[in-house]
Amino acid sequence: MKRDTRRRLAPTVLLSVGVVAATVLIGAGCGGDDDGGDSGDPISIGISLPLTGEFSQPGKAARQGYEVWRDTVNDEGGLLDRQVELVIRDDASDQNTVVSDYNALIQREDVDLLLGTFSSLLNLPASAAAERNQMLYVEPAGGAPEIFERDFQFGPFFTQQATADHQGDLFVDWLLSLPENEQPKTAAYPVLDDPFALPVIEAMRDKLEKAGVETVYDEIYPVSTSNFDSIANAVRSENPDLVANGAQFDDGIGFRRSLSKVGFEPKILFQTNAPSFGEQYSDGVGVKNTEGTFFAISHTPDATTPGNEEFVQRFEEKFDGEAPAEDAADAYASGQVLQAAVEGVGSIDDQLALADWLRDNTVETILGPLEWEDTGAPIGEFLIGQWQGGEAEIVLPEDAATTDEIITVRPEAE
Amino acid sequence: MSGVGSALDTLTESRTPWRVLIAVGALALVAYPLVSDDLFYQNMIILSLVFAIGAVGLNVIMGYGGYISLGQSAFIGLGAYTVGIATTKIGGDPFVWVPAAGVVAALVAALLGLIAMRTRGFAFVIITIAALFILQIVAINWDSLTNGTSGITPPLPRWDLDYQNWPFYYSLVALLAGSLALSWWIRRTKIGTGLLAIREDEDKAATIGVDTPVYKIIGFVASAVFLGMAGGIYGYYLGFIDPIGMFDIVISVQIILAVILGGRGTLWGPVLGAALIEPLNELSNQELGGGNSRLLIFGGLLALTILLLPKGIIPSVRELLERRLRRGKAALVGGRLGARRALNGRPGPEPVRAGRKLLEVKGLVKHFGGVRAVDGCSFAVEEGTISGLIGPNGSGKTTVFNLIGRTMRADAGEIWFDGERLAGPPWRRAYAGLGRTFQITRVFGEMTVLENVVAPLRSFSWGQLRAGAVSGDDAKRAEELLEFVGMGEYRDQPARALSFGQRKLIELAQVLMLDPKLILLDEPAGGINPTLIARMEEMIRELNQRGKTFLIVEHNMPLVLGLCDPVLVLAQGQCICSGTSAEIQRDPRVLDAYLGEDFSLEEPVGVR
Amino acid sequence: MTEFIQATAFGLLIGGVYALFASGLTLIFGVMKVINIAHGALLILGAFLTFTLWEQLGLDPLAAIVVTTPLMFALGWAMYSTVVRPLRGAPLSSTVLLTFGLALVLEAVMGLVWGNQSRSARPSYFDQSFDIAGIVLPRAQVFACAVAILVLTLLYLFLARTWTGRAIRAASANTEGAALVGVNIAGVSALTFAVGVATVGAAGSMVSVLYPFLPGSHYIWIARVLSIIVLGGLGSLQGAAVGAVLLGLAEVYTQTYVSAAWATAVPYVLIFVVLFLRPQGLMGTRLREDVAL
Repeated sequence: MKRDTRRRLAPTVLLSVGVVAATVLIGAGCGGDDDGGDSGDPISIGISLPLTGEFSQPGKAARQGYEVWRDTVNDEGGLLDRQVELVIRDDASDQNTVVSDYNALIQREDVDLLLGTFSSLLNLPASAAAERNQMLYVEPAGGAPEIFERDFQFGPFFTQQATADHQGDLFVDWLLSLPENEQPKTAAYPVLDDPFALPVIEAMRDKLEKAGVETVYDEIYPVSTSNFDSIANAVRSENPDLVANGAQFDDGIGFRRSLSKVGFEPKILFQTNAPSFGEQYSDGVGVKNTEGTFFAISHTPDATTPGNEEFVQRFEEKFDGEAPAEDAADAYASGQVLQAAVEGVGSIDDQLALADWLRDNTVETILGPLEWEDTGAPIGEFLIGQWQGGEAEIVLPEDAATTDEIITVRPEAE
Repeated sequence: MSGVGSALDTLTESRTPWRVLIAVGALALVAYPLVSDDLFYQNMIILSLVFAIGAVGLNVIMGYGGYISLGQSAFIGLGAYTVGIATTKIGGDPFVWVPAAGVVAALVAALLGLIAMRTRGFAFVIITIAALFILQIVAINWDSLTNGTSGITPPLPRWDLDYQNWPFYYSLVALLAGSLALSWWIRRTKIGTGLLAIREDEDKAATIGVDTPVYKIIGFVASAVFLGMAGGIYGYYLGFIDPIGMFDIVISVQIILAVILGGRGTLWGPVLGAALIEPLNELSNQELGGGNSRLLIFGGLLALTILLLPKGIIPSVRELLERRLRRGKAALVGGRLGARRALNGRPGPEPVRAGRKLLEVKGLVKHFGGVRAVDGCSFAVEEGTISGLIGPNGSGKTTVFNLIGRTMRADAGEIWFDGERLAGPPWRRAYAGLGRTFQITRVFGEMTVLENVVAPLRSFSWGQLRAGAVSGDDAKRAEELLEFVGMGEYRDQPARALSFGQRKLIELAQVLMLDPKLILLDEPAGGINPTLIARMEEMIRELNQRGKTFLIVEHNMPLVLGLCDPVLVLAQGQCICSGTSAEIQRDPRVLDAYLGEDFSLEEPVGVR
Repeated sequence: MTEFIQATAFGLLIGGVYALFASGLTLIFGVMKVINIAHGALLILGAFLTFTLWEQLGLDPLAAIVVTTPLMFALGWAMYSTVVRPLRGAPLSSTVLLTFGLALVLEAVMGLVWGNQSRSARPSYFDQSFDIAGIVLPRAQVFACAVAILVLTLLYLFLARTWTGRAIRAASANTEGAALVGVNIAGVSALTFAVGVATVGAAGSMVSVLYPFLPGSHYIWIARVLSIIVLGGLGSLQGAAVGAVLLGLAEVYTQTYVSAAWATAVPYVLIFVVLFLRPQGLMGTRLREDVAL
């Protein structure tokens, strides 16, 4: 009985598969090719972002930033008198997909310009795709030093103030400027196996070791780690003065919570990424657990950099009062940088000229002035923030600080 | 309607239309980049080619061999990393290192094959999954070699942009052609037959001389070598090689899906499957938002295919067409028993050293949990005899056969055959001259009758593997044997269509193909009609006159007591008695254990 | 030494939850010889359901078991009737592939419904620990382990003491024989599948507190459950429990004494080693191969 049913179904399924396949091929064939726009036509900018998958949160924030930038540019008359159009694809936080996305954007959709995706992991392959197609690549969030060591001509240009290995510089300098009795003597470095997080902490560790701070714990944990209790416990057993955790988002939260679970409160705590997520961070770890945690960040809504106030205002209007996350601001800054290059060169036809222009010029953005080495690595100072009283404040450098005070020893550690 | 009908008939019977179709397709594939510069489609075809190479390769171990591997994407990763590491650390053009990628993949496949030798079915699948993830973790952690999660960026292609992706495209087309050629060649040689036999019934295959570990390793290596090279090219093409992207289990799932959907065991099925999978992949990435929809589509398609179309497209279409063709016709299989032909010509009667013990069993023991199925069993079979083995159910007869043939392992005891201690796996015993049939017949259902009889191997040699499966001397001999048992007309029937009795005849033919010295028959008369029983008896006598020794397990007393001398009696795992049929019928121990005191045959029988 | 005791404590606590998680799969395999690769995805589904209950209603995740278990039971029954039953008697590898497809479908659905960012339930006790002589026992882990033991005990009593339970065990030992003595195999199979899914739902509730989870987290859980049943021997509940605790300990010891980087490799390495050296696992018996009848 059952076999007969299956046999009757089989031809139907065959037919459906055939129809699907035919439809796919016809449909794909009918997606017409546009030729490049002449003046008057919009300028299309191709972007791939992780809107789903493990980087979906920052991915969505980046999209928000890009959209606000597009609105700003178009309201002010557009780019070279042409309206800007964003063509956004979801790469699902997957490297294979991001490459085929950019290939599709460049070759199929014939976009005029490109803007980058989120995370070093995705920007590494995406920038290679852009380079192969000889297009300028400006990226908001990929600070791994590796990205700039490949001798590319068309970028990639990183629109934050410093690459990963320099983002902790001001923090380390401050640590080493503390009086003898307040300086940390021992340090623990639990780090996520990630091309961004690793260089930040490794650079910090090298500098501190040279200055005599003893490393008592130094472990890399894989991306799939979800249970941080034993890691936190191992850190606790060494009782370090300083804990510097290289993290993205989830693992940063997980590790912080495990520290509470095992009942260990280091005197000084530094984490990459996670604490820069504002309310999401304090919700994740509990407000009282945020006190005194240091982090590195590229942007704050309170900064007085040119255009920032307007950006924050527009953002809050567009997104129901929500304050812009760091990734949104970085994306906006990328748009600004691209705009500056295009306006500086005066056309979009020569992508290499755009790249060279960026090498020779400084761009004023909501993150401050940005300038680059020939490799596309930025030259600048990253901001250092600290959670105080349930709020994320900027504490370094002094001229960008939103508060005068820096907590040197976390209250629970006393 | 009849026009369509006759068109369909042609499609079923003749291969030419299909060949034309394939030729046109191949031509289109090769010509495409020359006539169109649409890079989007080129990209899609390149990815389809990688899938196709993976699917054609997987088909060798899965379609032919029946071993499902969820780890094939590991070979893509291995290939990509080989090329990436070599070209960045040693230098040279990535294409130069592609053959090395194939070698690395082949070595790892051989290693995996060795490890998987002891596992079957489900356990094998699990091991392939574990291997994939372990390789991924090694790629992540061995960062001095692989650069860990930051990945490797191979150098950018250096050729003129006018040539676009041609080097990638054509090299992959060449690899696909190569892997198809390998698959086709395997199928038509003894390797293919061996793999099919393993798929249909691995233990039976072992007893007819198929050295299963060697075949499995060959199959596994064949599935990996072209895929490894394709992986090397793919990594170069993608421009970025990293552990997460290169050791992706979803790609493994897509490759399996391509094989199953297209039709496993067929030559072109995997290619068709790959051609369907990749556009679907693109569709879900580009139009349907990627990520979750991709998972939904492929997961759902995999589940639906297994439920509704487990055979795949090409076999199902073929079946439909063939069914149409055969409608209303009677099957060959239901006919009367064909005539037999006596053996002639074949290597003449062998000399028999009467009195010599051909088989000696000493103190065999086998437990199953607490049950002692065989409990210190000892007996001997003299050369040139037709010995019987009788005993009540549960006395251990079939288990003894299993132990002799090494389908099971004895817990204790020794088995001596032809003056040497028998040790080693079942196929070695087949090479030594031991053949056995099974109580519930085991034939290779999906193969034809002739293929079944050609499958057994008398010895192992690498040269032999390359020989055509159904051709040459072996095929002739197989046909003769089929005539001998009276199944000559059925040579092209699929074995699964045969009746129980017909299968017994086929099994006997298979055993004879081994040219064994000793033939173990497990209930040859069970479940068949008297005419066939008589024929069996005839054949056994004829073979015995030509020098073959028999050991027969039977419950059919008239047959045993008339045919066999001596008769061995097994009870409770031990041999309690042996002697002529007359002696056995009178022995009190035998009457007590088995025959019963009121046992008497209707006519007195003796050995003729 | 303290470090060792601490690590052992962690391992045992998590082993209890693993045992509950693996019991469902073992039960299902025992009766219908189906390896349900979707087991990991079902665990995550249980976690998501619990999370929503906690987020919307403030229901304590461990107490939410009372709600999630019946829900998952119903889902299990539905899954069995539609998808699994047609495949009874099919080769094992077919069911592996089929359930793998289901796992992907479940992952996609969870992603579409709940989104792809990671979640975890954070009841009041989630960051607190019991401190016993310098050994830290996180409260969430202790509660979860206690509940797991409770549920496992109930399961054991159900199997050992009730008629239905005996029917399940009979069907598990010998399906044809059980049918011959009047056990309704179809009904028992559906029931077993549903019970198996229900237990994994309960385990999911615990996971929601212990770990952050995403739809894509099911892979690491599949790896764990496979290594547990490989270790403990297919079809043996006691074996699964022992295997679960061993896996928990192995993971924690590796994380503590070798390196965190290799801790995720532990389930896979165990699978490899066990299947190679002792394929029947620790407590499974070599089945009589009904090879040559």
